[in-house]
Amino acid sequence: MDVTADANPRFDLSSALSLVKSIYSLVIVLVLWEAVAQLGLIHYYFLPPLSDIIMRFVELTLNGQMLYNAYLTLMRAMVGLAIASVFGVLVGVLSAQNDLVDWFFDPIIKIGYPVPIISLIPVFMLWFGIGDISKIIMVAVGTFWPVAINARDSTRQVETKLLWSAKMMGTSDRRLLWRVVMPAAMPGILTGFQIAMPLSLIITFVFEMVAGGGGLGALEIAGVRSFESTQVYAAIIAIMLIGIALDRLLRMARGRLLHWT
Amino acid sequence: MDGRVSISELEKVYGEGAERTKAIEDLTFEVDGGEFASVVGPSGCGKSTLLYLIAGFLDVTSGTISVDGNPIQGPGTDRGVVFQNYALFPWRTVFENVTYGLEEDGVPKEERQSIAQQYIDMVDLSGFEDKYPKELSGGMKQRVALARTLAYEPKILLMDEPFGALDQPLRESLQDQLLDIWGDLEKTVVFITHDVEEAVYLSERVMIMTRHPGTKKTVSEINLDRSGSREEIVTSDAFADYKNTVWKSLHEETQTEVTL
Repeated sequence: MDVTADANPRFDLSSALSLVKSIYSLVIVLVLWEAVAQLGLIHYYFLPPLSDIIMRFVELTLNGQMLYNAYLTLMRAMVGLAIASVFGVLVGVLSAQNDLVDWFFDPIIKIGYPVPIISLIPVFMLWFGIGDISKIIMVAVGTFWPVAINARDSTRQVETKLLWSAKMMGTSDRRLLWRVVMPAAMPGILTGFQIAMPLSLIITFVFEMVAGGGGLGALEIAGVRSFESTQVYAAIIAIMLIGIALDRLLRMARGRLLHWT
Repeated sequence: MDGRVSISELEKVYGEGAERTKAIEDLTFEVDGGEFASVVGPSGCGKSTLLYLIAGFLDVTSGTISVDGNPIQGPGTDRGVVFQNYALFPWRTVFENVTYGLEEDGVPKEERQSIAQQYIDMVDLSGFEDKYPKELSGGMKQRVALARTLAYEPKILLMDEPFGALDQPLRESLQDQLLDIWGDLEKTVVFITHDVEEAVYLSERVMIMTRHPGTKKTVSEINLDRSGSREEIVTSDAFADYKNTVWKSLHEETQTEVTL
């Protein structure tokens, strides 16, 4: 009894301490920021105090602007990413399984992957306009590559002996894909999603900055144009929070799906 | 008894043109139904290739391999392989690994579970049903692999240096476990190893293969009295004699390797 009563608070204390330690540097930077801004060492327009930015963030959230723009950004990024995920996994897995598909897609992937996709924004504006569709297609095209490449490589790397094991136990070639290849390649496929996710936010955000049409990128650039730098930073905080939340979500999903690794 | 493996004038060539290498040449060998036969040979002699050919994972270049008179066509559930590196499905628990073959065979769930449990108990893994392969030691993984292969009841067990990665005491205990299972289940076993003592201890016959290209060099019949304990068997004069015979034959091959 005594042992457990003693052990519990000690455990809590140490975990609280380690949490503080892990964000120690961050706290210092934020405090410095607030101090430098409050003392007027940097002009308000360049760097407003953190507290003002938070106030603006709360204000934008309460009047609905922040949520609406966040919704637009998130929707564009996620729909695009979903499309890329379906096609990327399909093309990647088929390339690894079929020489003809690989022959067709390998050069395209080799050329397509290194292209800085953002440089194509003007082309997309020409072709598809500046609306949701144009942004969604750009996200889909931009995030297709990491998804496809990771799906292809992890499918290729499935151990031959796992396939043999399944075959000797009666798995037909047709069923091999679902019974062995996909589960064995799942860690690599999920890695592709994890790489593509932040990319989808970057592409959406930049497209919104360039072309408008709402969203957090447009909110930020509007802040610059109206000399409201608190809004600029509030939009950055919002996209950061979304990025962190999505990353956590994907990590959790990975932990759930891949508890066997 | 069923489970006779007949290998006739087998040849296996890898690659083409300049990269063409002959792995196995003119190999004829027969393993009776229910027999325990080992194959030993210097490394690179094609003994694993031979096993994968029997399993149907690789195609023969010429010659035939038959099971009970029927030429094999690819992998089949009449043969079960136990790999050196286990090749367990990492996303499946011990229990799910063992039920895999039964699922593929369409065995109803309840029956599947009772059969799987029976084989898990046989290899002394009760209590580990819900563990994943990564949570197991090498010896335990190999027992899961054995149970997984036994569960769908192949007539022929093909074992590719299954205990090669394990330390000596563990290897010995698994060897004895395998002999017990073999005695109970009446399977044909083709056992690949580079360990002469292991081959002599386990087998009724040992085939020694030549080095590159691999073919049958000699076959030693092992007529040991196996009624005693391991200690009695391995310290007997007969055991030493068999071991020496096999070792000498194998040693000639490894000598060739050195002079090359």
